[in-house]
Amino acid sequence: MDIAWEDGAHTTYTGEQLRWACPCAECRGEAGAPGRLSRVTSLSPEELRIRDVVLVGQYALQIAFESGHNTGIYTFGHLRRLVA
Amino acid sequence: MPTNQQILEALAQIKDPDLGRDVVSLGMIKELDVSPQGRVSFTFELTTPACPVRDRFKSQAEDMVGALAGVTGVDVRMTANVRPSFMRPKPSEILPGVKQTIAIASGKGGVGKSTVAVNLAAALRKSGAAVGLLDADIYGPSVPVMTGSRVVPQQANGHLLPVEAHGLKLMSFGHLNPGDQPTIYRGPMVGKAIEAMMVQVDWGQLDYLVIDLPPGTGDASLTLAQAVPLTGVAIVCTPQDVATDIAVKALQMFRRLNVTPLGLIENMSWYVCPSCGHRHEIFSHGGAESAAKRLGVPFLGAIPLEEGIREDADTGIPVVISRPESAGARAFVEIASQVAARTSIQSFRQLPVINVR
Repeated sequence: MDIAWEDGAHTTYTGEQLRWACPCAECRGEAGAPGRLSRVTSLSPEELRIRDVVLVGQYALQIAFESGHNTGIYTFGHLRRLVA
Repeated sequence: MPTNQQILEALAQIKDPDLGRDVVSLGMIKELDVSPQGRVSFTFELTTPACPVRDRFKSQAEDMVGALAGVTGVDVRMTANVRPSFMRPKPSEILPGVKQTIAIASGKGGVGKSTVAVNLAAALRKSGAAVGLLDADIYGPSVPVMTGSRVVPQQANGHLLPVEAHGLKLMSFGHLNPGDQPTIYRGPMVGKAIEAMMVQVDWGQLDYLVIDLPPGTGDASLTLAQAVPLTGVAIVCTPQDVATDIAVKALQMFRRLNVTPLGLIENMSWYVCPSCGHRHEIFSHGGAESAAKRLGVPFLGAIPLEEGIREDADTGIPVVISRPESAGARAFVEIASQVAARTSIQSFRQLPVINVR
């Protein structure tokens, strides 16, 4: 996935990189309980392939993977930090 | 006789104070024509009919072009074409015919947010723009009473048609659930209801959709900021500390969602006693302006506390229509043009372009 930003910057991501960076509660864990991404060591290919990307308002992207996982809302700040 | 090039060079000396560029490179000069007798005519296309510097632009244009050698007369046609917020590859799927979405928020309740939203919408309409008003306050919808439009919306082709009043297109939960029965919703239902008012209502072509938000920094505001790329948000507050402190929280929330703060509006800023003529500052004065300065956002203006504003809201005619000469109405019109000018700036912004390979 490529993003051309308002300030002229360009960033590139792989599906794998984005899947492991999913910020959703299921993946990250909540209320002290560890999330799925800290419990598994590998993900299947369809979990890593991007199916669709939707703009959320003007602050984030919602990324859906082939596995159906789509609960991660990646803020622009999060996406910029991933490649910083 | 001047060439088109010379005329454009002369006009390029006019800078748009909000957009920070000259009016020629912004594409505002159109249909330029010079007659054999030396009469110059052109269209000056503003980015909003509520442009605060409209008259200044017109006289500047006449002076600049009139000063060129060989010009015998200048005809400037002033028009406006609101540009869509953000340059984007394809039109938005939600609210496809709406060019600009302006949210009115407050943080704290009871500061006159709906009154401000109704009158801003009416003032933008008076300037000639096509305007809609979405009342997103599910629990306390005020727009039907304030606009005298307590009717049930019609349906056509599976869509709800907005209610029309005072030249505005309106939709409120008060139209859908009239009477004295409350709407008792948990958070997720609020989000669904607000989305429905955007998706299921046939808003048609609008220059501005003003959205009157409920107080608070919760479901309604969050749903809205997620569902549409909002052009910006104007925050209403009253001058006292307890109100400005909460307004600041609302503003910071929208900042975190990357929604541009158009600025702060101070309501109930002063009261002129009708019997003694003395000016009272009941809720203090200037709180919003100093908060705006502190936060580095524009201060859009102050509105007085007037009995007329309240009376007209209760009878369903916005004060900018019923008493256009009153201090309150003049303040609303001035603030509307400030909001429109701030909104125009957003038309030149670019949302990130995403490409999946």
